[in-house]
Amino acid sequence: MANLKNFNLRDFGADLWAGWNRASRVAFVLFFIALIALLPFAPSFGLTSFLNTPIASYIDVLVFPVGMFVLMALGLNIVVGKSGLLDLGYVAFFAIGAYSQAILSTLYGWNTWTVLPVGMCLAMVSGVILGLPALRLRGDYLAIITLGFGEIVRIIAVNINITGGPNGLPGIPNPPDVLGVKFDLMHSRNFFYLVLILILLTIWMVRRFTIRRPGRAWEAIRQDEDVASLMGVNTLVYKLWSFVIGAAVGGAAGVVYASKVMVISPDMFKFEVSILILACVVFGGIGNIWGVILGAAVLAYIPERIRFLTEARQLVFGVVLIIMMNLRPDGLLPRKKREKITEKGAK
Amino acid sequence: MSEKLLELKNATIKFGGVTALNEVNFHVNKGEICALIGPNGAGKTTVFNVVTGVYPLTSGEILFKGENLKGKKRHQITKSGLARTFQNVRLFGDMTALENVITATDVHKKTGLIAALFGTPLNRKEERESKERAHELLAFMGIDHRADQLAKNLPYGDQRRLEIARALGTEPQLLLLDEPAAGFNPAEKVELANLIRKIRDKGYTVLLIEHDMSLIMGISDRVAVLDFGQKIADDLPSVVQNDPRVIEAYLGVPADAS
Repeated sequence: MANLKNFNLRDFGADLWAGWNRASRVAFVLFFIALIALLPFAPSFGLTSFLNTPIASYIDVLVFPVGMFVLMALGLNIVVGKSGLLDLGYVAFFAIGAYSQAILSTLYGWNTWTVLPVGMCLAMVSGVILGLPALRLRGDYLAIITLGFGEIVRIIAVNINITGGPNGLPGIPNPPDVLGVKFDLMHSRNFFYLVLILILLTIWMVRRFTIRRPGRAWEAIRQDEDVASLMGVNTLVYKLWSFVIGAAVGGAAGVVYASKVMVISPDMFKFEVSILILACVVFGGIGNIWGVILGAAVLAYIPERIRFLTEARQLVFGVVLIIMMNLRPDGLLPRKKREKITEKGAK
Repeated sequence: MSEKLLELKNATIKFGGVTALNEVNFHVNKGEICALIGPNGAGKTTVFNVVTGVYPLTSGEILFKGENLKGKKRHQITKSGLARTFQNVRLFGDMTALENVITATDVHKKTGLIAALFGTPLNRKEERESKERAHELLAFMGIDHRADQLAKNLPYGDQRRLEIARALGTEPQLLLLDEPAAGFNPAEKVELANLIRKIRDKGYTVLLIEHDMSLIMGISDRVAVLDFGQKIADDLPSVVQNDPRVIEAYLGVPADAS
C-alpha cells in the first residue's frame, strides 16, 4: 500500500515522454486521440460490452455526464488547480452558458454556433463581476462568496420569467448541421465529437498557459501570494484571468449541454454539481490536466454504470470515493513533483 | 554621490496602539551600500514592508527616484525598481530555481496572457530572453548548477542566494536585503560580503538589514540605527560604532550611570 501511495504515474509517464523524439510523440498523441474517438463504438465489440450503462444509452452517457464533466473539470482546474483559488460555485458559469443558449435560441432564434461565443462571453463577464470583489479575499472567504454566487444564479433562474422559473425552458433547438454532420437525438455520437473538440481545445489552451508567463504567475500566486505580488506579479489581474478563463470553459459546456438535452431547469444547476466537479478535480489529481480528465471521466461514469444498484448507488459511490482518497490522497495522477513551467529548448 | 534614490520623510506607521515607526527620516543614496541596524523589534523589517508597499504609512511619505510611492500597488513598486529578499526565506518552493528567477523577470514583459496563448513572436523572444537572463543571474550568484532543482530541495545557503538572484531578476535599482547572512558561518559571511560588493559594483544600490556587526562595518558606506521605531544615528560605520546612544540601545545603560 505504501508503494501505491508513493508511485507517481505522472512522473513515470513524463520520464517516458522525455525519452521520446518528436515523431513518436506525435504518433502517440494521434493514437491516443483516435482511441478516445473510437469510444462511442466500444459497445459494438463483444469484449467491451461491460462498458455499457444499464439505463441511459452508453453513447449519451459519454456526452453527458462524462464529456461534460471532463470539460468542466478542466475549466475548474484552471481556477482551483493552477492558481489555487477555491471556487465552490463553478456550476453558475455552466448555468449561465446553458441559459444563454436556451433564451437566445427559443426567443431570438439564434443557433448554437452563434450562441457559443456569446455564452462564453457572458460567462466571462459574470466571472469578472464575481471576481473583482471576491478575489480581494482569500481562502475560506473566497470559497463562501463563490458558493453564494452559485446559489444566487440558480435562485435568479427560479424566480424570473425569462428563464421559465422553476419549470425551466423547453424546446431548445439542437445545433444546425455542419457540413452534413447532424446533431440531434439520433446522432449522439456527433455531440461526443463536438465535446471532444472542445476538450482538446481546452487542453491546448491550458498547456500553452502553463509553460509561459501566466502559468508561472498562477503557480507563484498558488504558492505564496504575498511574495508573488512583491516579485512583481499583478496578482489581482492574473487571479481574475484564471477565473475568467475557467468561466469561459464552463460557459461553453453549458451552451452545448443545453442544445443537447433541449430542456433545462434550475434544478440541474444545484450546489451538488459544483461539489461533484470539484470532487472530479481532487479525485483525479488537482493541478494535473491528465489526472483531472481521468478523474472526471471515472467519477461521471461510475454512477451511471452502477445505476442497477438503485438505492445503494450513492452509497457505493461514496465508498469508492473514500477508499480511493485513502489509497491515493494526491489523486489518481498527482501533479508532477517537478513540473516544468518553462519552455524547453531555448537556445 | 548625493543623489537620493530612496527617501523616507517623517515616516510613521501605527498598528493599533503600537508605533512601529515614529517620524523616521532616512535616505539611501544612489550607488551606496547602506545598512539598517537596531535591536530586535526596532522596526527594521517594517521599513522594508512600508517601502515595498506591504503596509501603508500612517503619515509621512516615501519617495523613490523623487516619486511618491503612496497609493502604488506592490507590483507597480517592484516594477519601478525596488526588490527585496525576506528574513525567513520565502521562495516558491515547488518551482525550480530557474523558474523562481524567471517569474521575477516577468515583471518587465510586454506580452501577457493572450500573446502566450497564441505564441506570438515577441512572446517567444521574451520567454527565451528571460530564460537566458535567469541563467546569467544564477551563475552570478554561483548556483547555476542548481537551476533545475526544486527551490525547496536546495541547501539553506543556496536558498538565500536564490532569493537574491530572484530579487535581481526584477532588474531593481535598489535591492533590499533582509538579514542575508542569517544562519551563515564566518566563511560564508565573507563570501556574502564580497558578493554584495560585486552587486554594488554592477550598478545596483543596496540597503541591507543585518545583525552581524563585522559584516556591516566591513561593507557599508553608511549605517543607520533604529531603536523603538526611531532613528537614533545615521553616519559612517566608524562613527556609529562609537556613538553612545547606539551602544546604549544595544547594551543598555550602566546601572550606576542612571
